[in-house]
Amino acid sequence: MIRLAGLVLSLALLGGGGAIAATSQSYESPALTARLITVEDGIGPDAGTISAGLVLDLEEGWKTYWRSPGEVGLPPEVDWAGSRNVASAEVLWPAPERFRAFGIENFGYRDEVVHPIRIGLDTPGRPVALRAVISMLACSDICVPLSFDLALDIPAGAGIDRSAAEVIAEWVEKVPLSPEAAGMELRAAALSPDGAALTVELERAAGWRSPDLFPELGDGTAFGAPDIRVSANGRRLWASLPILALADPAAPLTLTVTDGANAATFEDIATGVAVPDPPYAEAQPRRSWSALSWILALAFSGGLVLNAMPCVLPVLSIKLSSALRSAQETPGRVRTGFLVTAAGTLAFMLALAGGVIGLKGLGYAVGWGTQFQNPYFLIVVTVILTLFAASFFGLFDIDLPPGLATRLATVGGRGHAGEFATGAFAALLATPCSAPLLGTAVAFALTGSAFEVVAVFATMGLGLALPYLIVAARPGVVSALPRPGRWMLAVKAVLGLLLAATAIWLLWVLAGVRSEALAWSVAALLVGMIGLITLMRVLPSARGWAMATAAGLAVAMIALPALMQPEARAAGRDDVIAWVPFARADIARHVSEGHAVLVDVTADWCLTCKANKTLVLERAPVVDALAAPSVVAIQADWTRPDPRIAAFLEAQGRFGIPFNIVYGPAAPEGIALSEVLTPGAVMDALGAALGTEVALRSD
Amino acid sequence: MAESRRNLLIGALAIAGGYAALRFGPPAVAEIFAGDLEFEPVARPAGFRRIAGGDSSTGFDLFLGLDDDPGLDTGAALERVSAQPCEALYGDDRDPDVVPMASFSDYNCPYCRALTIRLSEIEAASVGRVRISWHELPLLGEASMLAAQAALAAKRQGAYVAFHKRLMRSPFRTTPEYLKVLADDLGVDKTRLLADMDGEDVRRELRESSALAELFAFVGTPALVVGRTVVQGEISDARLERLIARERADGPIEACA
Repeated sequence: MIRLAGLVLSLALLGGGGAIAATSQSYESPALTARLITVEDGIGPDAGTISAGLVLDLEEGWKTYWRSPGEVGLPPEVDWAGSRNVASAEVLWPAPERFRAFGIENFGYRDEVVHPIRIGLDTPGRPVALRAVISMLACSDICVPLSFDLALDIPAGAGIDRSAAEVIAEWVEKVPLSPEAAGMELRAAALSPDGAALTVELERAAGWRSPDLFPELGDGTAFGAPDIRVSANGRRLWASLPILALADPAAPLTLTVTDGANAATFEDIATGVAVPDPPYAEAQPRRSWSALSWILALAFSGGLVLNAMPCVLPVLSIKLSSALRSAQETPGRVRTGFLVTAAGTLAFMLALAGGVIGLKGLGYAVGWGTQFQNPYFLIVVTVILTLFAASFFGLFDIDLPPGLATRLATVGGRGHAGEFATGAFAALLATPCSAPLLGTAVAFALTGSAFEVVAVFATMGLGLALPYLIVAARPGVVSALPRPGRWMLAVKAVLGLLLAATAIWLLWVLAGVRSEALAWSVAALLVGMIGLITLMRVLPSARGWAMATAAGLAVAMIALPALMQPEARAAGRDDVIAWVPFARADIARHVSEGHAVLVDVTADWCLTCKANKTLVLERAPVVDALAAPSVVAIQADWTRPDPRIAAFLEAQGRFGIPFNIVYGPAAPEGIALSEVLTPGAVMDALGAALGTEVALRSD
Repeated sequence: MAESRRNLLIGALAIAGGYAALRFGPPAVAEIFAGDLEFEPVARPAGFRRIAGGDSSTGFDLFLGLDDDPGLDTGAALERVSAQPCEALYGDDRDPDVVPMASFSDYNCPYCRALTIRLSEIEAASVGRVRISWHELPLLGEASMLAAQAALAAKRQGAYVAFHKRLMRSPFRTTPEYLKVLADDLGVDKTRLLADMDGEDVRRELRESSALAELFAFVGTPALVVGRTVVQGEISDARLERLIARERADGPIEACA
């Protein structure tokens, strides 16, 4: 490296152009043009070395490869066998660029590259005949092997080819420097004990701008795409690269780090096993407007699809009742009502966006639907649901006349607060589950700027509210509903039962999140509250103290989680599938033993997860495949907050569940499945992960 | 009212369009507007053609690999495949209702393995109306050659596509331990795999494929022959499907009759 610096210096001090161009004949092909150049027009009396360069001018779309080409590819090779007066030739590699295509990582060059070559002479001062036989691979949409000869004779004499000197000097500067010269420092390098990842930590006083890493561990080692994170002050860089295949034995680690025009190579690195922690701040990849608009389209569609997810089932009764309530109204009122409901949905999503931004600002990890891990949240929602149910059973609106139609008209006449709350509540109850398309959008928002959070959540709200907006656009559809009558009392009772069932489901979730004792206590207090509300209706004189006591009970309920100890979560009760508890490191171990691994991230509060389990995972053929000896089924239970599971999801770019992923010898990076599972998708992924379907069947 | 309805319709169309773009991807959208395929004859062999302006394979020197293995002398093989190119490409057993495809790939070519897997999916989805003959064209050095031998040995146990899938994301290694693990993963007989890799049968097949590459003047990998149409380099699924439909419509290959 010091020699390189010397070369740059000597080239910079050059003067005077030469008469003879020190350039070989060009080799031309449709992929590239190649030629050899040297700085020296003639070999000076005592010159023991010359500086040459292999110039490759690549056509549009063509690439050549770095000395470690990545998972596949070939670097150029030069054979100097036919040369005269050449003792040694050292080809230097300018810092490469990362290419991603077809899920394969490659490192190399496009447009133009010049490989500087230091040539040592047998006899100083004597003429030199360079004869290079070059074998290389160039790829665009086709990979073409190229093999060609370049010849260049340099007589004894003097003189410098100034333009060649400038070109070579320019590219010598692109060859990675020593770490000291580049101002980079390696703090730690660790191979995880299971050999699944290489994690490094670097420091750069000048700050990191657009860093990339190119580790080498010998032939046969392949790395996946790096996860690069820069600390808030911009000086600390943390990066983790999944190891797709490890050479045996692995060569000492060489690490080339690039940052814009700066590059350094760390050689012979001793790797430890203590994996450094990532900084809080994630590297924020620059996002384009086109990416944002694409994500917004996803968010909108995802919001719309959310309407059809099982998680929205509890909301159905609220939606239906608001439609029924509107049947008797004028189109204008219906339109306003549904617009207000849509506004309620949108307002909830915006409030959620605000909450997300606030929590992110405080450094909390945020997930989609994780509010259902919070017992206080669960109790408040349960209380609200119980009150809704009570009103459907006629216990609540005690001041209103008994006639249903009249009463509904009166509700409508009181303004639109109820409709607004309906929309907001529907959005709230729709959030415990992710949906197809939604995961990508939420992940984008949660890793993005405040503006992106607001834009994505608002668009998602619009998608979720689209059914209301359609009714608002065509109020006529509600008049297609049957006329009100006694049958509506029955409908109301059914809707009330649905809401009560939702409240009971939330109590069950609460039992999982905290403890059964807490769930029973809350249930008892809820029953007391209902009793008091009934009492208010029967005994108007007792109204004052009954109302106060009911409010007291509600406060008591919300205080309960702080007073009661959480109880250990029972695992793997009476499951059909022999689930293995989640531990991230186990995945790589099972895969290295040749097993396929299905990881199911689930929670009590995720209804789509329950649907997946009942309809796909616990039915043939999936249940039989999961029982096969070559398959390991891992369950990550996210009912309660768990940083390990949250980190696992985040590493997959997900922030919500359901999340299912299949690993295997042929899919070490994992095959992520859609939120809504199908037996075919699970079976295909297991087959693909094992690399063969035969093994699965024969088990 | 009319306006809001129209807006709604536009919105719905935009969602449907967005979904279609997501589902079928930009190449397919471009393909819809691409017009009918046009062909031009290839220099040789007679009766074969290629898509006009379809690839970037022109102008290269005909080339037979970075690693000129004298053991793979193709002189005699070239005469043989020139006399009967269809048999060499597609085998003897050809059904007029089936569109035959011949795939030539190299382990070291990033796009080849992706294409192999897509081709196998097209074959599976065609329920017997498309049949693929797998050829290996190891142009890129010793590792390519060994991987090609292993792929062809795996093919003899029905695991050619599984082999390519297994290698999608990991480098091929030549150690006996690696080959043992590979055989286990593929669920094939290890002893037979190792014997086939070095067997005369696999060598003969490599020679034939190499001779075909010379006959068809392939400049690199991947290369495909679909019926009577030569395709060099990347091709989108949509375009390939159209080509297959066109080959089916054009009937039996005259050059093979």
